[in-house]
Amino acid sequence: MLTLADLDVFIHTSHILRRVSLEVGAREVVCLVGRNGSGKTTTLRTIMGSLRPAAGRVEFRGKPIHGRRTHEIARLGLGWAPEDSGIFPDLTVAENIEIATWTRPGGRPAAERIDLAYSVFPVLHRYRARKGPEMSGGERKMLSIARTLALDPEMLLLDEPFEGLAPAIIPAVSAGVAAITKLGRAILIAESNIHHVPEYTTRLYVIERGEIVFGGPPDDAWRDATVTRIIGGAPRPTPPSRSPLQ
Amino acid sequence: MAAGLQVVFGVQKIFNLACGSFYALGAYAGVSAVGWYASAGGPPALFVVPLALAGLAVGAVGVVVERGLLRFVYDRDETFQLLLTFAVVLMMEDAIRMIWGTSPRSTSGLYLTYGQLQLLGATVPVYNLIVIAASLVIALAIGWLLTRTAFGRIMRAAADNREMAEALGVDMRRVYAKVFTLGTALGTLGGALVIPATAAMSEMGIELIVEAFAVVVIGGLGSMRGAFVGALAVGVLRSIAISVYPELEMLLIYLIVIVVLVLRPRGLFGGAAA
Repeated sequence: MLTLADLDVFIHTSHILRRVSLEVGAREVVCLVGRNGSGKTTTLRTIMGSLRPAAGRVEFRGKPIHGRRTHEIARLGLGWAPEDSGIFPDLTVAENIEIATWTRPGGRPAAERIDLAYSVFPVLHRYRARKGPEMSGGERKMLSIARTLALDPEMLLLDEPFEGLAPAIIPAVSAGVAAITKLGRAILIAESNIHHVPEYTTRLYVIERGEIVFGGPPDDAWRDATVTRIIGGAPRPTPPSRSPLQ
Repeated sequence: MAAGLQVVFGVQKIFNLACGSFYALGAYAGVSAVGWYASAGGPPALFVVPLALAGLAVGAVGVVVERGLLRFVYDRDETFQLLLTFAVVLMMEDAIRMIWGTSPRSTSGLYLTYGQLQLLGATVPVYNLIVIAASLVIALAIGWLLTRTAFGRIMRAAADNREMAEALGVDMRRVYAKVFTLGTALGTLGGALVIPATAAMSEMGIELIVEAFAVVVIGGLGSMRGAFVGALAVGVLRSIAISVYPELEMLLIYLIVIVVLVLRPRGLFGGAAA
């Protein structure tokens, strides 16, 4: 579904991504794990066309998309939920979700897409009339992911969906993401905390200083010396819904 | 005009000095339109129609300025935007001189077509009341556009977070072009509507921009309510100053601006956080 091949990305003069290659197949859940500043967000922003690669290719559903403009990429069916949630503070929860049906019309009817977004995070129903600043971090994350889903994308890019959340709310977010995987959408999750890697992850990449140092099934990652060194200590591949968090 | 400035700044974060010129352009276009209209023998009572149409029509220069110039400086420093829009001000001033000459132009007697009214002991031309009503209608229309329509909501979303809006499929180039044209049309329409009460001069662009910025500073950048209150405050204060002590007229406005800047740097209705 999505292929990155030998991406080189610079921000100003800093070389951020070095020959990054990764692959997300249809219906797959792929986790890109790395410390803060290792290049996860840069990778996602490059896929969305916010940054232009100096070299390499980004292909989505067999077509090259690097060099296309962000809104075109979004309309092709790639939905992005950024790390800071990117909620429009001036709009209500309902408007935030609805906006995705105005900006990418066509396909399924708007009402169906909106219902789908709420069905993944039913708690949002209660906040329909609220605005961004009146919500907690976890609610904003849910709204961000729900809005991305209302775009009706083939694939979702989630940047640190569990980062900075209160432990009590993580199961709800995790359950929502799991529900999305059951809808048959592909998902690429960027994650800095190895304990947040969901159990249903089909493939895991580890990125360090802009380079992919591991790619493969999660179970192999825990046996890889480089991986355990980078992501710190003995990994505990417990699902986030059950693990207490630091 | 302050409304136009607010819409454009709010969404595009562009300091558009040129809006004063758009105002002047609207005024001149209005004078010419009314001139043609009168010589073609149209009924005087309907002269506001060609006036408003001319104002709206020249709003189309907004498209040209936005597509031709402004889009190249969106990602640059505000200084570039200021310089570029100031260049537009100077060019438009000369263009107006070339087309309409240097002497002030007015719509002569038409202003009083609608007669006058005794109001609270003062004589008020009915036309002024029409202009006030028109600005109220425009303000309400913009309010409706921004809060009740999909385009308005997309505009507000885009103003807040451009990258996110694009990632949701919003074509920012088109939003910018539409917003800038809307802002320009508000400016030119304002110029055209006000002109029967005064006279069109080629310098009015620069003169007005100062006043409009005073309005915006008092009201708070990017706030429509602020623009409305600020405009009211400046208008009322000016007329009080003129009747009490004319030399104080402009000084008073700047004093208020300074007081507001010192006490409430974000303006009366400015946002709470950056």
